[in-house]
Amino acid sequence: MDDQRTAAERTADGLRLALRALVYAVLGGAALLAVVTVASVLGPTLALDLYTPAVAAWWTVFTAVVVQGVPFLLLGTVVSAAMGAFVPDRVFRRLLPRNQALAVPVAGAAGVVLPGCECASVPVAGSLMRRGVAPAAALAFLLSAPAINPVVLVATSIAFPGQPAMVAARLAASLAAAVVMGWLWARFGRQEWLRLPKGRASGPAASGLAGFLAGLRHDFLHAGGFLVVGAGAAATFGIAVPRSVLDVFTGSAWAGVLLLAVLAVVLCVCSEADAFVAASLSGFSPTARLAFMVVGPMVDLKLIALQTGTFGRAFAVRFASVTWVVAVASSVLVGWWLL
Amino acid sequence: MRRYGPAVLLALTGAAVLRISLFGELYLRYVQPGLRPYLIVSGAVLVLLAVATALTARRPATDAQDAHGHGHGPAGPRVAWLLTLPALALLLFPPPALGSYSAEREAARRAAQGVGTFPALPSGDPVELTLAEFGSRAIYDSARSLTGRTVRLTGFVTHGDDGTWYVTRLQVSCCAADATTGKAEIRGRAAADAPPTDTWVTVTGTWHPEGGLGTDAAWPPVLDATDVRRVAQPANPYEKR
Repeated sequence: MDDQRTAAERTADGLRLALRALVYAVLGGAALLAVVTVASVLGPTLALDLYTPAVAAWWTVFTAVVVQGVPFLLLGTVVSAAMGAFVPDRVFRRLLPRNQALAVPVAGAAGVVLPGCECASVPVAGSLMRRGVAPAAALAFLLSAPAINPVVLVATSIAFPGQPAMVAARLAASLAAAVVMGWLWARFGRQEWLRLPKGRASGPAASGLAGFLAGLRHDFLHAGGFLVVGAGAAATFGIAVPRSVLDVFTGSAWAGVLLLAVLAVVLCVCSEADAFVAASLSGFSPTARLAFMVVGPMVDLKLIALQTGTFGRAFAVRFASVTWVVAVASSVLVGWWLL
Repeated sequence: MRRYGPAVLLALTGAAVLRISLFGELYLRYVQPGLRPYLIVSGAVLVLLAVATALTARRPATDAQDAHGHGHGPAGPRVAWLLTLPALALLLFPPPALGSYSAEREAARRAAQGVGTFPALPSGDPVELTLAEFGSRAIYDSARSLTGRTVRLTGFVTHGDDGTWYVTRLQVSCCAADATTGKAEIRGRAAADAPPTDTWVTVTGTWHPEGGLGTDAAWPPVLDATDVRRVAQPANPYEKR
């Protein structure tokens, strides 16, 4: 009995297997045939159809933003890598006053000397804290450095030719927001939110020429990648969003400010290139574009990621959300005053 | 690839930048002429950096310098691979200059300015003008300096709804992302058979005043053409704003 059953079962299994193989072969073959046919027939037409004027314009704007950004990005990373490799951190520490409330604005203003974008300032701020600089001061530096250094201000003045008020407004609004954030941290900040990295330095470890090259390579590639992300988002935004939608927002000054402040977070444009993106958003009010340039270097998706990695999530979430509010408020006030 | 990835990326980016700036004038499709020296220097620095990176990458010990804990290993930041997109696009099939599609999307906006007098037009007959200058003189010049002058405009062809056609040119202040449109309607004998959209033409003719000074009716300005000639796309497809 048993033998018969197993024999029958074996036959059934074999049949089932053969049937399954047949079904797979037929289905798979048919699918393969269909894919090949469709691809060979439709492929060339589809490729041409996909390369519509809209797609061509997307590629042009996308490459244009990258090409425009590369020289500035490179200049910024060369200087920031040189400072990271050749200037010891204790120089920064010695220059700061002991009093926290006083150290915050000094550190904020000291951001002027670190030409670089926001990617560079996170590791620098982390190493400043590790070497005994008050967190409030280091955070003010973290926020102001990417926004008010000479490279960014020159880029801003090139992007907005004949509008020096825009450069002044960016400087004032960014510095004010950074100092306010530093004071807020000094007053309300809690040490336990901050999870400082231990052990290895998070900045370029080696100094000298090797450290310079390593820092330069890393900073350029890192920021360059994010520049591409920003360029793609900006080109998509310019091509895909119908003008009528923008008109809704450009019609209302408040909605425009909030939209661009959110856009700055989402687009993650490097601070050395964001002025050019802001200049291209020509339908918006000057204050809205100012908000874009003030929020962008302080809060965006890539910065939140970088801060989470360096300072911990509890810190990054609180810090980023409060910074966004302070930066928007600061740019509205300064825009109302200067623009 | 893991070891040489950063060097390859830097070399690709540098080569792409050099290709459009040093070995040709393709960069004019994307940015303004003044950026060329900076582009050449950046391209050269990137290529040198790629060489230095490749040389140090042969000694594995230096890889340790990269391990600084924000989401990438010795192969360098992963997001950097996105740089291959624009770099390969520039090297293999450089995207074209913006044309009629962008001009029609971006509702032609005249540069808002007050009515007033303009500096005297340069001598010469016909006088070469940019579309931006032709437009602002046609609409805002209280001295009517265009009257009686033969002007020559160069741009690409766009079509209106009712059989009208325009010579159009995009104005760029920084890079192609901020392009705005300037255009002039072409009428007259020579304009009878309109060239197809996106054809580059040089049009010679005289200004045809229409609408009051500084009003919407005066826009777009009109040119009575005596001669329409097809030309090759100029090296710089845009006008400086």
